[in-house]
Formats: sequence, structure tokens, C-alpha cells
Amino acid sequence: MKVHLRVFVEVENLGKAMNALTDAGITGFYLLEYKGMSPQDWKGFSIKEDPKSAISLIRDYANDAMLICCVVEEEKTDEIVESVMKAMEGEKYTILEVPIRRIIVNYKAEDKERAETWLLEKEVPCFYCGEKAVQRIRIDLNKAKIWCTNCGAARYYLIKGVEKEEK
Amino acid sequence: MAVKKWKLEKSASCYNCGDATIHDVEVDEYSIKIRCRDCGFSRYYTFHMVDLPVKSDTDDEK
Repeated sequence: MKVHLRVFVEVENLGKAMNALTDAGITGFYLLEYKGMSPQDWKGFSIKEDPKSAISLIRDYANDAMLICCVVEEEKTDEIVESVMKAMEGEKYTILEVPIRRIIVNYKAEDKERAETWLLEKEVPCFYCGEKAVQRIRIDLNKAKIWCTNCGAARYYLIKGVEKEEK
Repeated sequence: MAVKKWKLEKSASCYNCGDATIHDVEVDEYSIKIRCRDCGFSRYYTFHMVDLPVKSDTDDEK
């Protein structure tokens, strides 16, 4: 099983925590910058419910913090967590270990990567203004556009079909 | 105004065979044909609409 490891640290300790995670062998991560208040700071607070008050509370009282997230093998988790705890001794941090039930990763379809837009040019008299000017041709997978760089007149085309030749 | 057929070329990865090949692009007034020189795979486009700029002397004409 894999574990979603979430390490909450103060902004100034980000480098320290990242180094500890890297040394312990994480393979990838993502970061989230957030503003937060810990339960002890939040205790006893009551805020006015208008948006302005709520926003000013976050600006004035909440702390800048970072959340480092990574997915790790369950058997490696303890070692990684110990490494972070050792590096972050005396600092403020929170670590969450969340079990992952399933991971689904979908890669970008190869066809989509190939479907790039083509841009071509041809200098001929325009069908509309009659001036000899560059006519730009943009060809996408399912549509095309030809326009005159002089007058802007444009013709649009749509895909009609494809044909495979027998070899 | 009739448009003469244009014959152009484009080097690109073919949508069908995936190879980097030359594609013949034929642009006609009402159609476009793109053909991969390597595998012969062709795509056909048909005229859909035209968007004309407003001429200053004929503002009501589009």
C-alpha cells in the first residue's frame, strides 16, 4: 500500500523539510502555500461574519505556511517521517499519513500530442480584397482557417473525412 | 472571385503513421486535402463559412 504523506511546515522551514524528505528518498512531491491557524491560536476566536472581517482576520492573524505532499511506499514511511522529525527538531510542524486506497494515473493520449496546429503561408491575390498579400493558413485536426493579412477576410473549413490508402 | 488551387508542403509528424514526413496540402476554394507522402493517409476538409470584413465604403455589406 502507498501512503499520502503531508508535512505542514512554516514557510521559513520549507528548505529544511524538503532536504530531509529528499535525503530520505522521496521520488516526487507537490507544494501548497497556505495561510492557517493552529487549534491553540484559534481557540476562543469568534469572528464577524461579513466577508471583510473574515478576510482581514486571515490577513492579520493567520500564519504563512507550506504543505509538502508526497506519495510514498508504506514500508518507507517511518524512515521518511523520522528523517523529517530529526531535521525539524524544535520547529513547528505537523505530519499526516493518509493511506491511499487506489491511484489512477491517466497519461495524455499520443494522438492529442500529435495533433498540433500547422501554420502555412501563401502570397497570392486575396479572394476578397484582390490585393496580393500573405494568406495565412491554420490547419487543426478537425478544422482549418485561411485569412488575408491585408483585409482580414477569412474562410473556414471543417473536417469531412479521412482516407487510408491500401499499400 | 474564383480561387486557384494552391499546392503547399508541410513537414510534420503524420497523424496516421507517426513518422516525420512531408505532407502535400492542396487548398481549393471549397476543399482542403492533406496527404502524407509516406503512408498516403489523407484528411479532407470542406468549406464551412466565410467571414468578411466590413468595407468602409459599403458599411452595410458584410
